[in-house]
Amino acid sequence: MAEVSKGIAEKWGLVVDQDRCTGCNACVVACSMENNVPFTGEDNVAFGRGTYWIYNKRMWEGAYPEVAPAFQPVMCQQCGSAPCEPVCPTFAAVHSEEEQINLQIYNRCIGTRYCANNCPYHARQFNFQDPDIPEPMNSYLNPDVTIRRRGVMEKCTFCVQRIVAGRQTASAEDRPLRDGEVTPACVAACPSGALVFGDLSDPSSRVSQMAQNERQYKLMDELGTRPKVTYLKGGGRNGG
Amino acid sequence: MAAETKLFGKLKTTEQEHKDPKEQLMFDPRPREELNRMVMEMMTTTTRKFWLWAIGLGAGVVVLLFGAWGYMISTGMWVTGLRRPIYWGVFIVTFVFWIGISHAGTFVSAILRVFKSEFRRPFTRAAELMTTFGLAAGALYPLIHLGRVWVFYFMVPYPNARWLWPNFRSPLVWDLLAITTYLLSSTIYLYLPLVPDLAMARDRTTGIRHSAYKILALGWRGTEAEWFRLKKAIQIFAFAIIPVMFSVHTIVSWDFAVSQVAGWHSTIFGPYFIIGAILSGVSAVVTILYVLRSTLKHMDYFLRPEHFDALGKLILVFSMAWAYFFFNDYLLGWYGGEAAVRQILTAHATGPAAWVWYTMLICNIVIPWLTLWNRKIRRTPWLMFIITLLINVGMYLERYTIIPLTLGHQRTPFDWGIYTPRPIEISIVLGTFCLFTFLYLVMSRLIPLVPVWEVQEGQVAHTLRKVGKAEVPSVTELD
Amino acid sequence: MYTKVVHMALFKEEQLDHAAESITRLRSLGISDKDISVISGIPFSEKILDRPMNWTNVGRIGVAGAVLGFITALLLNFGTPFLYPLRVADMPIFFPIPTSIVVTFELVMLGLLISTFIGVFVETISPSYGPQGYHPKVSDGHIAILFSGPMDLDQQFHSTFAELGATLEHDVEEEKLWL
Repeated sequence: MAEVSKGIAEKWGLVVDQDRCTGCNACVVACSMENNVPFTGEDNVAFGRGTYWIYNKRMWEGAYPEVAPAFQPVMCQQCGSAPCEPVCPTFAAVHSEEEQINLQIYNRCIGTRYCANNCPYHARQFNFQDPDIPEPMNSYLNPDVTIRRRGVMEKCTFCVQRIVAGRQTASAEDRPLRDGEVTPACVAACPSGALVFGDLSDPSSRVSQMAQNERQYKLMDELGTRPKVTYLKGGGRNGG
Repeated sequence: MAAETKLFGKLKTTEQEHKDPKEQLMFDPRPREELNRMVMEMMTTTTRKFWLWAIGLGAGVVVLLFGAWGYMISTGMWVTGLRRPIYWGVFIVTFVFWIGISHAGTFVSAILRVFKSEFRRPFTRAAELMTTFGLAAGALYPLIHLGRVWVFYFMVPYPNARWLWPNFRSPLVWDLLAITTYLLSSTIYLYLPLVPDLAMARDRTTGIRHSAYKILALGWRGTEAEWFRLKKAIQIFAFAIIPVMFSVHTIVSWDFAVSQVAGWHSTIFGPYFIIGAILSGVSAVVTILYVLRSTLKHMDYFLRPEHFDALGKLILVFSMAWAYFFFNDYLLGWYGGEAAVRQILTAHATGPAAWVWYTMLICNIVIPWLTLWNRKIRRTPWLMFIITLLINVGMYLERYTIIPLTLGHQRTPFDWGIYTPRPIEISIVLGTFCLFTFLYLVMSRLIPLVPVWEVQEGQVAHTLRKVGKAEVPSVTELD
Repeated sequence: MYTKVVHMALFKEEQLDHAAESITRLRSLGISDKDISVISGIPFSEKILDRPMNWTNVGRIGVAGAVLGFITALLLNFGTPFLYPLRVADMPIFFPIPTSIVVTFELVMLGLLISTFIGVFVETISPSYGPQGYHPKVSDGHIAILFSGPMDLDQQFHSTFAELGATLEHDVEEEKLWL
């Protein structure tokens, strides 16, 4: 692993085009299936304990009667300087040097929930109970992703298992990774193309190009967290 | 001329009425045998009521604390009222509360010792005991609130098979180190001045108590070398434990202040928390002293209105200091213009839980300011009991405002939330109150709760000195 | 060589001046300071009783503990990151300043306070020199002057202390006070 990645300075990033998002929530479903995110049930979701690595903020824009729905899919922003990382006493939230993303190591997590408090995006989810996976559903579990037991934090990983798989395939075929070869589940599932994923360190990649768009902004940029997720929103001027 | 003399004469008599030296413990000396006998009787007298309380509280510890905690461990954190985005609830509130309570022992005992405040003498040990047990109750919470308490040792720095040391940049690891340091040093600080009194108890008991005191007293005879060593060690402790105490509550405040949660990220949190801790701690000392005075035999000789008076003055000063820090924190947050902080401040004052905020202000500012300036009120123990109890209610609500109410109102309105503690959480919180009271109750019959040698030392040092025609209380420095 | 016998003179707490006086008289009888020891229920400084200065290592042991704590803190702060370097946010991995200062402070204080106690403990249980002996009346506030002197001065001791209003006790060495 270490030899394969030598010399590769990856910097994975995601672009969310809010003007294209239809609010269909396909990303949420795909993410849950890909990452074995536990279904906590209606009551828990209503109580505020639904576990989602990506969730869609539904908002209304404008004043009645001229209102239009607006959607903002929010996932872990994979901050360059993540507030969740230094506060963890056991290094369960660490920065991955290889992918330049923010990883949660479930085995180290003791469940202080400090990281969740300190995440301004509220992207971190806590396992309040053990996952309950009824009989036929267990055959859908993704073998590439571990199941988390109760008491640990979890969050979006940019589907790091897919990044690693893509990198390994490329290395086996002795070629560099192609742009668009690695797609997290949410990006693959998005029917309107609102989510674009790629390597931000390659200026010619699609995601780098889109991140330069004049509609771009970052969530709470003023906090200095240096998020890897770029949002595009035109405010009605450029369509959407 | 005659009128003037009369005037002066009148003034003098009122003065004398107020300052009858016999009212003060230090000017009402009794022989050491008598003091020892009283303290021994205090320690060995148990009533039916005592046993009922002890059994009740013991059952409370077993059921409310360990029963509920065990249930929570075996089923998971879903039994609490925590939900996104409020990941810290009454467990952390009560943690901060107990750590705050534990400050007064050191404050009363160490700071007043360093500054040679004589009124501290009869109740230093009661305050130190409160520190130790307050910490014992508080130190449970970082464990209780863990999602996976069975791997809590991942935080402890020791060479391990995981090849991984804890993250020394995390305030939670600082907490662990600071609380360990404070718990160990405050226990020792309780024990050191206790040794001569244990020797006293050793000389006056038989059977199993005698054997226990004999071991604990470390063969104390009271030689010059022993006293010298003890005084030296107490002096080192009194000076060194003060910065430790400051660091402990500062670090507890840093749990909040280093984060970038709006309303937590404040540079004034360190001193603000320390002042709050001392306010609630000194209040708790008064609460406990009242209980001790009304339940322990002979305690009314040692604890007198003068002590409530002096502590009442301290509480008034710290209530003012708390108000100053609170206002400072509030004003600058409001003035800074960060929308999220302003929203939080508005939500505290007008939101669904505004009653918490107003009760906090009433208990922490209005009640002490309206009552404690009055000497008569300060010298009425039962009134002081009620006032200090209310101050601690206020301080608990202060932490409640800072933790769940602030977490529930962060930058994105989509993620706002309301938190209500659930029965299991309330049970565990009550359980630690039972634990504290139970430990205190049991300990009050096991160790001399009044430092007899310090009281006697004080009584020897205090004399009435004739200055002109008046007899003026004066203190001799024996060391 | 003559045999030395340990005597204990008990003064009541208000007879402090007499106790101080008796030490002067004992000296004039030829008893040296190291053959006298004073035990009391409350601390009296050497000056009050006109006794030689006391000496203890507790402070030094405490400082040694503080140094040990400081070294431990250095190892934890600057050593452990080398075993398993992990980056968190933008924080320096190998030179974690200023966060290391917090850990250093706590461990220095822990070292200082724990070792001060260990110092007290070790010095208390190590054998002490000078005349041994104890009387329960000491914890009742009596001041006891323990001294060992030659048999033949026995008569003079008794008259001296009777004059000063003290009671003399013999065979005070028997009781074992610890373990």
